[in-house]
Parts: sequence; structure tokens; C-alpha cells
Amino acid sequence: MIFFQYYLWVAPHALLPVLLTIIWRRGWHKRLPFFFCFAGFQLLQFLTLFALSRFVTLSSISLYHWVLTIGLGISALLELGAVFELAEALLLNRVSLSNSLRLLMKWSLAALLLISAAASASFAAIGFHGAARIFSVLDFCASVVEAGLLVTLFLFSGALRISWRSWPTGVALGFGISACINLAASALRAQFGSSAVLAVDITQMAAFHVAVVTWLVYLLVPERSAIFPTQVFGVSEIALWDRELHRMANQ
Amino acid sequence: MIVAIVFVALSFIGLALILYLAKGFHATGGSLNQLASQLQPVDLNAFRNLIDKGEELYLREHLDPADFRSIQRERKLAAIEYIRCAASNAAILIRLAEVAQQSPDPAISSAAEKLLENAFRLRLYCFRVVPRLYVSVLVPSAGLVPARLADSYDTITRQVVMLGLQYPTQGMASAL
Repeated sequence: MIFFQYYLWVAPHALLPVLLTIIWRRGWHKRLPFFFCFAGFQLLQFLTLFALSRFVTLSSISLYHWVLTIGLGISALLELGAVFELAEALLLNRVSLSNSLRLLMKWSLAALLLISAAASASFAAIGFHGAARIFSVLDFCASVVEAGLLVTLFLFSGALRISWRSWPTGVALGFGISACINLAASALRAQFGSSAVLAVDITQMAAFHVAVVTWLVYLLVPERSAIFPTQVFGVSEIALWDRELHRMANQ
Repeated sequence: MIVAIVFVALSFIGLALILYLAKGFHATGGSLNQLASQLQPVDLNAFRNLIDKGEELYLREHLDPADFRSIQRERKLAAIEYIRCAASNAAILIRLAEVAQQSPDPAISSAAEKLLENAFRLRLYCFRVVPRLYVSVLVPSAGLVPARLADSYDTITRQVVMLGLQYPTQGMASAL
């Protein structure tokens, strides 16, 4: 069991340098700078916590908890930035959608913050004090906001039938899987407190592992594109469709 | 405890939704002919009739209230179906424009970009109108359908017509 726990803790973070190197070499850190910072910060946080875990004793455990909590706060902000960055990359660059989606994302964020604050107040968090309690609440709130925003983003795209075939899709999917699993896990931790810590930690580490593998797969597998091999589009035909649609949309 | 269970359930629903939608994003949509075959024909005259204010007034004057409400409900539901067809056809246009956008010819990709924008706008518009129509289905005589909405119906009618009119080049004239 200890080996499994260490595997889930170390393996995804061992993959992060590979991910960061590929992104850097391709120059894609300019496309999703928040995501790049998030991945880099995850690695830095892991190295710090791993080093701390070697020296920490029962009397200094609170130091470990505070580093973990502050790290979570920074991660949550970077992840939020990455989600808005994904919305920009996948949807907001389409002029007609930008206003609707910006409004939707803003209202969703406000509603999710309210919901997470109200819900976290109702949790028992048995056995948690100080930094551990703050961590539990922060983890739950961040999970609600991230999962909610990502589901909103996916639903909006699905409703408009927008195809995502690029690398940002993989980033969004990885975040989505991880955020939803984290939400379930953090809700259970917030409710059951210290008795659920081990199971929740394993679940969250496994979710992050899945996310990192998803990001890597989308980075390494070439993009598929929809091609109509036998069909040639004529300018006049497309322009005609556009002209009529434009006329109608402006009415 | 209930709050935790609710959030666990919501997270699983969210995860299932994300996986389902992500799978859909990878659908290539098949060939142009396959896409064209998914188009749904729209009887424009029938749709015009459904949203016509004069027609509604005529029915109100010549039918007893119970019959009128029942018929109005049916008419609104039928109008919703037409709007759904328009939205579905717009989704097909989006797929078409997305592929055309990849063309190496800048004129074609630019034309496709414009088409994409307007198809998105049309689809968004359909989403805004349908909930309002459902309200008017629930309360057919409460005057919840403002005059502006009738204009909107008309716009959508033209959208559906124009969408349909563009497809004869794909051999879809008979279907429309």
C-alpha cells in the first residue's frame, strides 16, 4: 500500500518535467502560459513537499500543512487562470461567442463561489484544525469552482457543436477529469474529516495522474482533423451561405 | 452528510458529461454527403402559418377558449420543432465551415470563417428563443409571447429558408 501511495505521488510529478520540456520546445507555453505555470508550480510544490516529508516530525507537521495549504491556494489560482485561458483559446477567439461566453463564465464563477462557500460551511470536517481545516475548505471550494467552470465550458461547446481537436482540448479534458474526481474526494474529506484522509488522498493523486497522462497523450498524439477528401469547397458557395446567414443574424 | 452526497453525485454527473462531450468533440462528422443527409427539411409555409399573429387572432375569435388553448399549445410545440431543425442545420453548417476553414486557399478559409461566425450566432439565437416558446406553451393565452418574439419567429423562418436554399448544390433540393 505504501508503495502504491508513493507511486501515485511520485509518478505524475515525474512525468511533469517531460510535459514541460515538450511544451517549451514547441513554444506552446506562449499559447497557454497559465497552464505552463501551473504545471511548473505543481512540480516545484512536489519537490518542496517531498523534501519536507523527509524531515518532518509530529511536532513540525503543521509546517508541512501550511506549505500544502499555501501551495493549494496558488495552484487553485493558476488553475482558474488556465481554465479562462482555455475558454479563450477554444471559444472566445470566435467573435460572435465572446460576449455570451464571457457573461456565462462570469456568472458561473459568481454562482459557484456562492455555492461552494455555502456548502463548505455545512461540512463537519471532524478532526481538522488550523492549516488542515483551511486546506480542507479551500480544496473543496477550488474543486467546486474548477469542476463547475469546466462543465460549463464543455456544455457550451457541446451545445454549439464546436469541434475541439487541438492540444488545449486535452488540457481541458485532463483538468475536467481531475476537477470532477477532486470534487467528490474533497466533499468526502470535508464531511468525514481525518478519518477519510487516506482514501481521499489516494483518489486525488490518482486523478492528477490521469490528468497528467491525458495532457501528455494529447501532446504526443498528432491532431486528427475532419477532412472531406473528395469535396472541394467553392468560394462562391461558402460566401453565399455566409451572406444570407449574416443578413439574417443582423435582423 | 446530504450535502456531501449531493456533491459526490454532481461530480460523477459532471465527469460523465465531460467524457461524453469530449468524445463528441472528436467526431469528424463524416463526408459532406453524410452531413448533408443529416439536414432536416423544413416546411416554411407551415412554419409561417404557425407564428402568424393574424392566424392566432382568427383562431381566438372562432374557437372556444379551451379549444383555442389546446390548439395554440400544439402550434407552439410545432414551431419549437421547426426551430430545432434550424438549430440542427446550423450545427451542420458549423461542421462544414470548420472543415472549409482549413483550406489552403485564403479566400475559402476567410469565407468559411464568416460562415462559422454567423452559424454560431444563429444557433445561439435558437437557444434563446426555444425556452421563451416553452413558456408560451405552458401559458398560451397569457400574452407571454410579445410582438417582438413574432418578429424573431419570422427571422428564424428566413434563417431556415436560407439554410435550406443553400443546399440544392448538394442535391438536397428534393429533401427541402
